Parts: sequence; C-alpha cells; structure tokens
Amino acid sequence: MNEPRPPRDFTPDPAAELEAHEASWRTETRGPYLQRHPERKEAFRTQALKWDIKPLYTPADLEAVGFDYLKDSGFPGEYPFTRGNNPNGNRSQLWTMAQVTGFGRGLEWSKRARYLLDQGLQGLILEYDLPTTNGYDSDNPLVAGEVGRAGMALDSLEDLEQAFDLPFDKLKYLMSVCNAPQPINLAMIIAALEKKGVDPKDFVLHIVNGILIEYTCVGRYIYPPEHGMRIAADCFEYIVRNHPHWQPISIIAAQLQPARANPVQEMAFSISIAMEYIDAMLARGFDIDTIAPYFHFVINVDMDFFEGVCKLRAFRKTWAKLMRERYGATNPAALKLRYMSSPATASLTLQQPLNNIGRLAIMATACALAGPGETMTTPLHDEAHALPAEEAIRVGAAIQHIVAHETGVADTIDPLAGSYYVEALTKKIEDEACAEIDRIKAMGGALKAIEQGYFQRVLGREQYERNRDLETGARKLVGVNHLVAPEEKRELEIWRLDDEMEQTQIEKLRQLRARRDNPAVEAAIERVREAARSGANLVEPCLEAVKLYATHGELCDALRDVFGVHHADSQTVGV
Amino acid sequence: MAKTPPIRILLAKLGLDTHTVGVTVIAHALRDAGMEVIFSGLKQTPEMVANTAIQEDVDVVGVSSLSAGHMRNIPMLARLLREKGGGDKLLIVGGVIPEEDMPMLLEAGVSKIFTMGADTRDIIAYLQAWRAAQAVAAPAS
Repeated sequence: MNEPRPPRDFTPDPAAELEAHEASWRTETRGPYLQRHPERKEAFRTQALKWDIKPLYTPADLEAVGFDYLKDSGFPGEYPFTRGNNPNGNRSQLWTMAQVTGFGRGLEWSKRARYLLDQGLQGLILEYDLPTTNGYDSDNPLVAGEVGRAGMALDSLEDLEQAFDLPFDKLKYLMSVCNAPQPINLAMIIAALEKKGVDPKDFVLHIVNGILIEYTCVGRYIYPPEHGMRIAADCFEYIVRNHPHWQPISIIAAQLQPARANPVQEMAFSISIAMEYIDAMLARGFDIDTIAPYFHFVINVDMDFFEGVCKLRAFRKTWAKLMRERYGATNPAALKLRYMSSPATASLTLQQPLNNIGRLAIMATACALAGPGETMTTPLHDEAHALPAEEAIRVGAAIQHIVAHETGVADTIDPLAGSYYVEALTKKIEDEACAEIDRIKAMGGALKAIEQGYFQRVLGREQYERNRDLETGARKLVGVNHLVAPEEKRELEIWRLDDEMEQTQIEKLRQLRARRDNPAVEAAIERVREAARSGANLVEPCLEAVKLYATHGELCDALRDVFGVHHADSQTVGV
Repeated sequence: MAKTPPIRILLAKLGLDTHTVGVTVIAHALRDAGMEVIFSGLKQTPEMVANTAIQEDVDVVGVSSLSAGHMRNIPMLARLLREKGGGDKLLIVGGVIPEEDMPMLLEAGVSKIFTMGADTRDIIAYLQAWRAAQAVAAPAS
C-alpha cells in the first residue's frame, strides 16, 4: 500500500488510450452503421428505475463510478459479501428449493399440511384469513363473507389445536403470517405447541412480524404505527429471550414490489424498516451482534434481468456496510444478509398464462446468478387463474431444477461479476439506495416516514407512472399490450362466498364463549390491557389469556381500547 | 360562458379488501384529467361510504373491488345512497368482477363496470361523456 508498485503496463495512459479508441469506434465504426440502421427505440431505459442504458459499457464506466475490486466486490463469504454469502457459492450445496402454496380453507389446513409433510416437506407456511389478520373474530358483522377465504380462520386456541393435529416429528419449521395481532398469534401458537407436547427446542417457529410493511402497502394493520412497532418489538424480544433459535422477523421486501417499488426504493424502504426494528431492540438493551443475525428478508427478482441481479448484489453489500459502519457490528453473522429469493409474482400476466413459464425461468436464472440466498421459492405460472393445479406445482419445481442442473449458472461463484455493465449498475443501485436510506433517516426513520405517508406517496406515484407506460405502450408486455390474443377469454378464479363454512365457524365460536370460564377470561383480558398501558411485554399476558380461550378478536379489541386504531386516509395510503 | 365545474368523484374501498394499486392509479389519472378526487380511506362500510358521498357532495362514487364481497357490499351501497338522498350520483365499479355478476350489479344501480386492466383513458372518456350528457339534459341555470 505504502510503496507504489512499478507500472505493469508501458502504455503511458491506458485510460486516455481507451477513451481515444472508444471515440474512434463511435465515429468510424458505429456512426456509419447507425446512419443506415437507426436505433429501434428513442431511448433505452431500465424497466423500473428508468435509468438510461448506454449502448456499450467499458472499463471507463467502472472508472467513472470509482469501482475498486477489493473494496466493492471482494471475495465470496467475506466482507462486503457482494460476491455472495457462501465461500463456495452453490458448488457445495444448492439453495433450498421451496414453494409457497395456498392452503385452501381453514378447516382443511391440517389435512393439506399432512399431505405436504407426506411429500417430504419439513416446513410449512400458515396464512390466515383477512378477519384474523385485521383483528376480528369470525362473527364480527364487518367481516361477513371473508371468513376462511384467504387463509385459515383463527378465533381461538381451539382452532389451532385442530390445525396442529399434525405429525410434529416431521414438521420442523412453521412460518406464521399474522402481523398486526402478532403477540396474540404468537401466544396462541406457543400454547398450542405446549398442548401438543412439542418441545420448542425441536422446532423452529418463524413469525413474519412485519407490521411496517403492512402500513406501507399491504393494509392489514390495526393500531397506529407507533403502537404497531411496539407490538412488533415485544414479540421480537420475547423470542430472543425465550426461544433464541426461533425466527422473530422477516422483512418481506417482496411485498413492496407488487406495490411498484423500484429496486432502489425496495432496498431503501426495507432496510430502513429493518433499522427501525434494530433501533427499537438496541433501545431495549440488546447489542447489535446479538440481534442483527435474526434479520431475514424475502427479495423478489423482477423481469428486468440486470436490475434484479444488481439489486441482489447491492443488497448484500449495503447490509454488510450498514451493519459494520453504522452499527459497529463485528459478528460475521451480523454482516451477512440472510434472505430468500423469488421470481416476482407481480411480473406474471393473467393473459396467456403459459408465457409465465418462460418468465419464471428467466427470473429464477437471475436469482441463481446473483446469489439466491438460503432458499428460492417459485410462484406458479397460473396463480391468477385457479388453485394451483398439480401440473403447475410440478413445473414450478422443475424450473428450479432446470436452472440448477442444466444451465451451469450455479457452477461458478457470482459469474456476472466483472461485467462492466453489472458492476456499474450494482454500484449505482447501492449508491442511490444508500442516499435514500440517509434521506429516510433524516426524516426520523421508517416509522416517521410511514406516519407521514412518504413511502406510500412515493409508491403511489410509481404505480401511476408504470401503468401509464403500459397504456401508452412505452413499455411492452407480451399478451397485455404486445402480441395480444384478441379472442382470449380471461378465466378469473373468483372465490364464492361459502355461507355454510362461515356459519359453522361462527357457531363453534358461540359454543366456546358459552363453555369457557368467562370471569377468568375477562380478568385475563384486563391484564392484557394493563400490560398495554404499562409498557410490559404483551406476549406473557396474551399467553395466559389465550390458554383460557380468550378469543383473537377479544384480545385485539383489548389492545384497541388502549392503543386506538389506525385510520388510513388519502395521504397515508398514497391514493 | 360559465366554465363547467370539475367532476367530483369519491373513490372507495369496502370491507377488508386493501388492494390499493388499482384505486391509486385511477386517482392519479383522474386528477391529471382535472377531476376532484376524494378517497374514502380503507376498511369502509357501505354506510360510511354513502355518508361521505353525501357530505362531500360528489357527482360520482367509484368503488374499487378486488375481493368476493362485491355482491353484498355494492348493492347495499347503492340502496343506502338512494335512501340518503344521493340517488342522483353516478355509481361506477372497477376491479375483479366476474361476468356473471354484472347483470345483478347493473340492476342494483351500478351504471358502469370496468374490469381489471381497463384503460384509464376509457374511464376518463366515460365520465366526461356522462357529464356532457348531463349538461345537455339539464343546462346550467
């Protein structure tokens, strides 16, 4: 470092020589060609970021962004992890190939889960219906028609006892997606596992616990954001203290993408959200090296191949730098971005669904090339049309195997590194995302930005602009505004209301309320209110209450009494 | 000649359906076309939307529906609008509406249904044509 090496090259100024050569290429070689063959578009831009794409990238572009191999790329398994988390890439083992499948209706969950476990799966994802995720019991008049529709109806511990009629020697991992009522949901799962005699050490519960994404774009919130954040931190803390090998958080950046976040926004918003959780946990006395390894992300790769590849590379690097430079983390596990990658469902079209198989293969290839994370999931090509057919499930799994075994992309580590375009774009995405992270920090962090509707307004603008690009034809989408099949009949799968299923669930709830020890339930619910007021961790009192069969909606109401409810208006939805 | 006032429209989401991309795109497009757009907020009941429509004195109510609740919620909204004296407001619907449900919704008082993927320029044209027809039928005093 201190002693300058003798120049290896006798060319006086390689940069100047390159520039001169490129200038002559532009005028002598490319210029005359362009005269005869004008370009097919007025401008070439990346799909989501709308950054200009040059016709050619050369070492000069790396020079221009100040690219330094050791500092910016380094080596796999080493800081800053641009070239991947695993020191041997995918050569020792492939990523875990997973698939998210719908579970149909609540009462069938256990049956469906058994079937999947019999197929050799060890992990399951439990999704709940909208009444549950919005904090209502099945008999609330506001939720009529929604019971058991988008997932399992969860009114009381009784429902989970039925759902958990499963061989727990086979089930090793369960992800639960119930953000706003998280402490109640966590308590119910713990109580149900206890009843089944499952040793929590033998099993991993992963709660998504992602309330800030709900306020940003998904909408399944209940309480005002600051209380939502406190609830999330209570659950995080409870797990770290009581079941340290469980997973207390997953930041589903992939949910920002259907809301049209571009790669910079997706990275900056989701990392800022993670920082809000980190700051909350640091304030509770934890240190960064203990909590950072708990963070887990789900990241989509969209159809713009290079935006997707470079986003994943920049994401790993930005996380590592943030943890080391801003938070002072030293634990190697704290510096590594843990994530699951997935082709983007939002890139699939309703029209001509078979085309989606091609799209999925391209996006899965991009994931594999950029580093797929610990796990890759693939959505199914006909998701918009029907319950996943067996063939779609088979094709979805086959796509990952084709990418892994037939293309060779997994056989060397981070093979796109060193491409002038890829490195320049990776660096630019990183720089822009870091600048946006700083802007959000200056606003007071993700929570403040969400309260003021900043994320929502930015996404609203993107939604409008990207739709306009499709309407004006500025962006071509096959089957939608290009190569449209005029006679195509769209077959949408529409859930029909099933009043009988709903009535059965309501009747079950009514009987439970008549049967349980109501004064004891009321006292337990009051203790939840007290904890909410005093700032004590909410999980413990919720655990006592759910064991007495206090219902999900009753406990959500108890927290409404203390926290109030969040009203989303035009500003905070971004409409 | 007096300038025609801009069309005032309430865009609404009913029930627990919180898919907002469609309604956001429409809101931006209608505003760009010079209309006054009011958003109901999320998790609204038909009653709440009918009240807002009347209080805000809108010309048009547009419901965005991406859940199965449309056969229950939308006729109820149409009835409440009539009962509360807002029967003259134009009621339009957009989103995921299966073809077989359309006659019943049109019967219940919905004037026009735009299904998923509808072009915002068609929606704007429809509203402008409706306003023009109104002006012919009842010239401003």
